Amino acid sequence: MAFAGPVLLKRIPADPAQRKLHRWADYVATGGYEGFQKARSIPPEDVIKLVIESGLRGRGGAGFPCGTKWTFLPKDVHPRYLAVNFDESEPGTFKDRYLIDHDPHVLLEGIAIAAYANRITTSYIYIRGEYHRQAKVLEEAIAEAYAHGVFGGKHPGTDIIHNCYVHRGAGAYICGEETGLLESLEGKRGWPRIKPPFPAVAGAFAKPTIINNVETLACLPHIMLNGAAWFKSMGTPSSAGPKLFGVSGHVHKPGVFENELGVKMSALIEKHAGGVKGGKYKAAIPGGVSMGILGTDQYDAELDFDIGKKYNVLGLGTAGVIVMNDQTDLVLALRNIVRFFAHESCGQCTPCREGTAWMHKILNRIAAGFGKPRDFDLLMEVALSMGAMPGTTICGLADGANWAVRTFLQKFPEEFKARLKSPQVQGVNLAPVAATV
Amino acid sequence: MAWIVEDRLKPYSPTRSEPYLSPAIRKQVEEKYFPRYPDKRAALLPLFHIIMHEYGYIAPQAIDEAAEFLGLARAQVQDAVTFYEEFRLQPSGTYVINVCRSISCELLGYRAVLEKIRQTFGIDPGETTADHKITVQEVECLGACEQAPCALVNEELHGCLQPEEFVRRLQELSR
Repeated sequence: MAFAGPVLLKRIPADPAQRKLHRWADYVATGGYEGFQKARSIPPEDVIKLVIESGLRGRGGAGFPCGTKWTFLPKDVHPRYLAVNFDESEPGTFKDRYLIDHDPHVLLEGIAIAAYANRITTSYIYIRGEYHRQAKVLEEAIAEAYAHGVFGGKHPGTDIIHNCYVHRGAGAYICGEETGLLESLEGKRGWPRIKPPFPAVAGAFAKPTIINNVETLACLPHIMLNGAAWFKSMGTPSSAGPKLFGVSGHVHKPGVFENELGVKMSALIEKHAGGVKGGKYKAAIPGGVSMGILGTDQYDAELDFDIGKKYNVLGLGTAGVIVMNDQTDLVLALRNIVRFFAHESCGQCTPCREGTAWMHKILNRIAAGFGKPRDFDLLMEVALSMGAMPGTTICGLADGANWAVRTFLQKFPEEFKARLKSPQVQGVNLAPVAATV
Repeated sequence: MAWIVEDRLKPYSPTRSEPYLSPAIRKQVEEKYFPRYPDKRAALLPLFHIIMHEYGYIAPQAIDEAAEFLGLARAQVQDAVTFYEEFRLQPSGTYVINVCRSISCELLGYRAVLEKIRQTFGIDPGETTADHKITVQEVECLGACEQAPCALVNEELHGCLQPEEFVRRLQELSR
């Protein structure tokens, strides 16, 4: 393991006063688009091979090997699309926004490399509607890239012209799910599709489509320039490379920090984020609320793609770490998370639509002091019954709700049970729910 | 997402003779967005973003016109538009304050921001002031958790909110 210094954040200094938006000239002056030139100097197949060799895994949440995903495209079927997932709606996640705020061209270069390797016809950057500024920044950067011939030209040796556009979402978490994103791209409601067919075979507009996260694509220029061995020298054997971590919640210096995969959460919180604020460490969410929670004794958890097996959470997710101090009421924290899922469930699948809504009602009841002793088991039962992994829903949104609830209950049972032990006098204690978590 | 349904007890809003999809809007969509996608339907979101930007909400008549313009059934357009929270079907105040209520913002006190807004302007989430200047809403994560608590004021992000100071800024805006 050797993480020498920032890779993805090399143009974004830690000192906020020195940060600036890198436009074309700034980007090219600092080695920009050299990775793209290098990619164009070798056959597309070799680019894919290099990406597979580097061990780059998707940074959007699932951690699927990027190069392998590309090989699923059927041969010689055109047009093909690249959908860039910049929906980033998972609570606690803001790394992609931070990157694009300062360095939009690194994404465009990544897109250009992926498009060259896969003979893509059109790349759509699906950006969430709330990111007004970032959409403008990207539009301007794309115009610069067109002016300099990055987009709008033919892939060498073919007649395929590659174009790149921004497509804005309009406020729906589910559009970050890859097939929900494709539906939204097509101008429909963002309802995830039943798979198969997988997007690589029939995705956007029923044509072969790759969907990659912003950070995944931003790794490509660096891999092209420095090689697979360099990339693998960072991180762990199964989780190669540098990674952006967004730290928020009860810390002194919240923000986006870069380190290698496998960095200990304690190191991230203490060295980068200035330590826990307002009390001692109690719990943290490793990567967006759908991943579940790390307990008080899991402060030193290594943040890599194996975290799920080792620490009983769903996975690394988006690496948006949310830290909670010992003053935090976890019943209210979980209620907030479940309310999010209940609100964002698209409503297609009954277990998800009903399960999230009922869990929210039960948690409201517990928070208000009317929890019944059986509510603990009831919550667990509802949680475990929903999700793509038990096989009851189309997409993974319900799994997120499931893992959030089950890990809170498993790791902090006393906190929940204490709220159920002493039933309040029914109909009297209607005091408002405490104002803070 | 949200389930927003048409209130059929209210009469259909009066049609206006001037179309919502002005020639300028049609031209912009035809020239800028149609070439981007293999079919016209995909231009639905960009089209309604323009309508939202122009009028601040989506009138029923705009949905009719969009359906005709995109070559779709009205139901198809209605189906898509009502799915997205950003597309408002009712007029709002001049300034729409979207206060984030997700986990990091709750940990760091978004409720105090809403409370201060309630005290100052007399509005709860979902309501608009009588002078139609300010609408306040709760929204899910805005993707700016390092600046929690945060809010979007129309298209601009305001982070690390201090309730008093934020409300003062809103008062200045709405003056």
